[in-house]
Amino acid sequence: MTIEATTPSGERMTLNMGPHHPATHGVLRIVVETDGEVVETCTPDHGYLHRSIEKIGECVEWPLFVPYTDRVDYVCAMNANLAYCIAAEQLLNTSPTTAVTVPQRAECIRVLVAELNRISSHLIAVGAMAMDVGAYTPFLHGIAQREHVNDIFERLCGQRLTYNYVTIGGVAFDLYENAAEQITAFLDAFEPEMVRFNKLITTNTIFRDRCAGVAVVSRDEAIAWGLVGPNLRGSGVDFDLRRDEPYGIYGKLGVRVPVGQAFAGRHGVVGDCYDRYLVRLLEIQESVRLCREVLKILPPPAAKAADPVGGWQADVTKVIKRPPKGEVHCRTEAPRGEMGYFLVSDGTKVPWRVRVRTGSFSAAGIFHKVMRGAFLADVVAIIGSFDVVVPEIDR
Amino acid sequence: MSALTAEVIGQRTRAAFPQVQPLATENGRPFLQVAPGDLQQVLRFLCSERDLRFDTLMDLTGYDLLKYPMVPPSDAIVVVYLLWSHVHRHKTTVKVLAPRADCRVPTASSIWPAALYFEREVWDLLGVHFEGHPSQKRIMSPDDWTGHPLRKDYLYPVDYHGVPHLRDGQHFEHVPARPGIPAVAPAPKKSTP
Amino acid sequence: MTPASQQATSGAGLGHAVDALAAWLSGTPEPGWFATLVAILVVWIAPMLAVVFPIAALGQIAERKIAAAIQRRHGPNSVGLEGPLRLLFRALLFFLPRAAQDKALARFCALPVVRPVLHMARRLGLGQLVADGVKMLGKEDIVPAGADGLVFRLAPYLALIGSFLPFCVVPFSHHVVMLETPVGALFAIAAAGITVMALKMAGWGSGNKWSLLGGMRAVAQLVSYEIPVGLAVAGVVLWSGTLDLHAIAGQQYHPGFFSLLGWNALQSPFLLLLGAILFFAGLAECQRTPFDMAEAESELVSGFNTEYSGLRWGMFAMAEYTEMLLIGALVATLFLGGYQSPIGEEWIMALPVVLETLVHGAILVAKMLATFLFMMWIRWTLPRLRVDQVMRLCWLQLVPLCLLALFGIALTMLAAGGTTPGVAYGRLPARPRPDLGVLGHLVAWGVPLLLGVLIVRAARRKHGQMHPALRQLTGGGA
Repeated sequence: MTIEATTPSGERMTLNMGPHHPATHGVLRIVVETDGEVVETCTPDHGYLHRSIEKIGECVEWPLFVPYTDRVDYVCAMNANLAYCIAAEQLLNTSPTTAVTVPQRAECIRVLVAELNRISSHLIAVGAMAMDVGAYTPFLHGIAQREHVNDIFERLCGQRLTYNYVTIGGVAFDLYENAAEQITAFLDAFEPEMVRFNKLITTNTIFRDRCAGVAVVSRDEAIAWGLVGPNLRGSGVDFDLRRDEPYGIYGKLGVRVPVGQAFAGRHGVVGDCYDRYLVRLLEIQESVRLCREVLKILPPPAAKAADPVGGWQADVTKVIKRPPKGEVHCRTEAPRGEMGYFLVSDGTKVPWRVRVRTGSFSAAGIFHKVMRGAFLADVVAIIGSFDVVVPEIDR
Repeated sequence: MSALTAEVIGQRTRAAFPQVQPLATENGRPFLQVAPGDLQQVLRFLCSERDLRFDTLMDLTGYDLLKYPMVPPSDAIVVVYLLWSHVHRHKTTVKVLAPRADCRVPTASSIWPAALYFEREVWDLLGVHFEGHPSQKRIMSPDDWTGHPLRKDYLYPVDYHGVPHLRDGQHFEHVPARPGIPAVAPAPKKSTP
Repeated sequence: MTPASQQATSGAGLGHAVDALAAWLSGTPEPGWFATLVAILVVWIAPMLAVVFPIAALGQIAERKIAAAIQRRHGPNSVGLEGPLRLLFRALLFFLPRAAQDKALARFCALPVVRPVLHMARRLGLGQLVADGVKMLGKEDIVPAGADGLVFRLAPYLALIGSFLPFCVVPFSHHVVMLETPVGALFAIAAAGITVMALKMAGWGSGNKWSLLGGMRAVAQLVSYEIPVGLAVAGVVLWSGTLDLHAIAGQQYHPGFFSLLGWNALQSPFLLLLGAILFFAGLAECQRTPFDMAEAESELVSGFNTEYSGLRWGMFAMAEYTEMLLIGALVATLFLGGYQSPIGEEWIMALPVVLETLVHGAILVAKMLATFLFMMWIRWTLPRLRVDQVMRLCWLQLVPLCLLALFGIALTMLAAGGTTPGVAYGRLPARPRPDLGVLGHLVAWGVPLLLGVLIVRAARRKHGQMHPALRQLTGGGA
């Protein structure tokens, strides 16, 4: 990618950040023009992790695309699975002959694993942002908690990162025997850990001064630039798909949505890095509450005789070979924002078009605007506050 | 702050622009079909009209109609605009058919800055040129890539800058399941430029 | 009661040792310059290096283990010392075939004395230290093509000099000061300034935009923070009336069990404040988090030492740890009584020279290590300040505080009613110290504390309360 320097002034330095990073943001390359202190232009270079997932979607059968959705965002793979499966189910439901009903137990399990994965994904997000600002410890404390979630998922489906667990019509396996106890034990141990985490970094004056007032995205800008998820809510827009366009059993659960309110105090502005960071922390709290609620309303497993497939899966093997011809657009709330699937079907067992719209893509789109005029030291903090993961940008 | 149904949105738009056709897909999903020439005016109307106020793009994408089973068959490239209104909490879909021979569509980035990246991706992967886009460059593929991968007649290149994509004896396994479309471009002649 | 007085010659007991060794080396009672030099090296410099050098070398593994403990993981605990042992056995038993050497090694490692030692070394990560050291030494010696050769090569040595040289004037015990000079404090600060030169040279000599940027920024930070360091030292100098570090340490002598009451930090709250400022400004001088923005610039490159690899980088790292130890030594000497023990000092003074040197040296090393570990604790807890915040902290907060403290010290000394004859400490003459009396002490401590409380409350009111969401996240409230 060529960079055009607008003025041939000798004072400008062109610096290349990436694609290899010591930080955990993956293979993202940003070319920065700076006078040494302040960034003047910032040009991201994408494509280092482009794996043509959308093209692969046109080559494999509908149910077999689920493992690829894991790789669209491997930090929150359950939510990525869920987004695609819900979209495929909506497509099947547009015709009464191919309609599929997901069992209630599967719906509850879906929300349970999605919220657990939201917790672990946000832990990475806030931990990586703290690490970029110079505090190495909170990230590792978050990783320690994430390991417990990974242990739960490993017992559930055998995987610790890319789960391939949520399927079209339900989930792949039922919960294991003492899953509810293990999850409850984790949640009980997790809440005081988060209090410690927040006392360590969130209320730290240095951290707050690094993030307050930095990279402010106003409400209208956030909407016009297509930001979604915690980035949008950090700018003060009260919108969450789990509450406003509920899917699964979210309508029953009643999700409380945190919105950015200049949390940093005197120096804070609505829509700065600190707001986006804090919205994620509040979402972690909310996810813990949602997990507990789901465990309360989880229906017992169906008896084998009554439901030959099991109470956690609807049988879609026949209908998915001849889905209705047409298209569907369906979006769900992944940790990084709305994950929108636009599926076009030609009536065969292989999709015609699978389109994944991810939140990190739009966040990357606003980088060049937001970093102009920022300090060089803030660039990584800004990237961290937008919580971009490169697999979502490049797919 | 009231959400309008798709029919009402279609009626309002058609009232302002009679050449817009409210259609629906085969499985009943409504959309508005717009010609490329009218696109910017229609989108601007949808964004600024008080009762519609589509202030953000949910998605701006496209797909190729080559060999799609429809009557009459078409080889155009569809550009899909999925619009959402935070104010009224309603949505709509706008489709533009860009003919394959003259694949140009006006840009929407002057209306929604979110379109900047989306349109770059549609150019990269589907080959639709968005006129008026300030930086119409490839975004995923390398800058010197040839071809637009998501097109249905895309030929997988055998090598890139002389580096082969396949080892000896390998072949592409997952070729598209549509007959009549070659999957792999022939190997270029070994001539030094 | 005055401790046993010694001869009033420089470096009393050890001075004799130097003379004796020099005479023995040269074979005549009037040793030449070379024999004297060797004697000085052996008697004074080698022990000092033997104390400081290993601590700085072990600093790397201490850092990793402490970081691991804070981050709730193990740190290096897998690499053992069998490798170097095997090398040793191969060298010593060169006449035996290889199988026999290995068998001997196995038998040795299985000895009931040796096995737990090896296990402990493995768990403590000492094997990792050796492995990393060998790796570092074995790296290719790269000098970038665009680098200014001499400047690039010279910078690490200057950094080492700048951090080791001030140890000359730090008193390690009553008898051991390498350089007995009446301007010790000034010498220490001035010699530490060589590091600034070294960083500037490193940034420039690398021939690399990033390094230049990092070097300039590091130099700006170091030069700025020399001001609070100098002012803090000036406060102690004002109080003690001398620049001689040995005398300053000696004046903190207090007879009786609670000899820590004689420490400068407890003489006046302004001195306590200056001690804290010296510690934090020293942290900035060492470029440790939260002040390491020059070397961790956006975590992309290492700032001024980007182009340094292998042993050259090792020298910079060693210089950084040594400077941390130096700050610890300065804080200890100026504010914490130097080499004196906090609980009873007379019995140590009554020991023979060698024992007294060892005990006092160990006490000073313990204080240095405490500061060292505290600096590491801070590093792994706090995030990093941005460059403008670092400068603002120095110029707008630390410097006014230092000036305020100096003013306070001067006022305290002025208001001191009478003087008591100071205790003669060893060979150092008695010196009058300001005597405040009970009322004076109450006022001297009470007024600044009250002012401090009022200032903090006003600042809190101005800064605003914590957002309720933050209060909720930290578990204190609804």
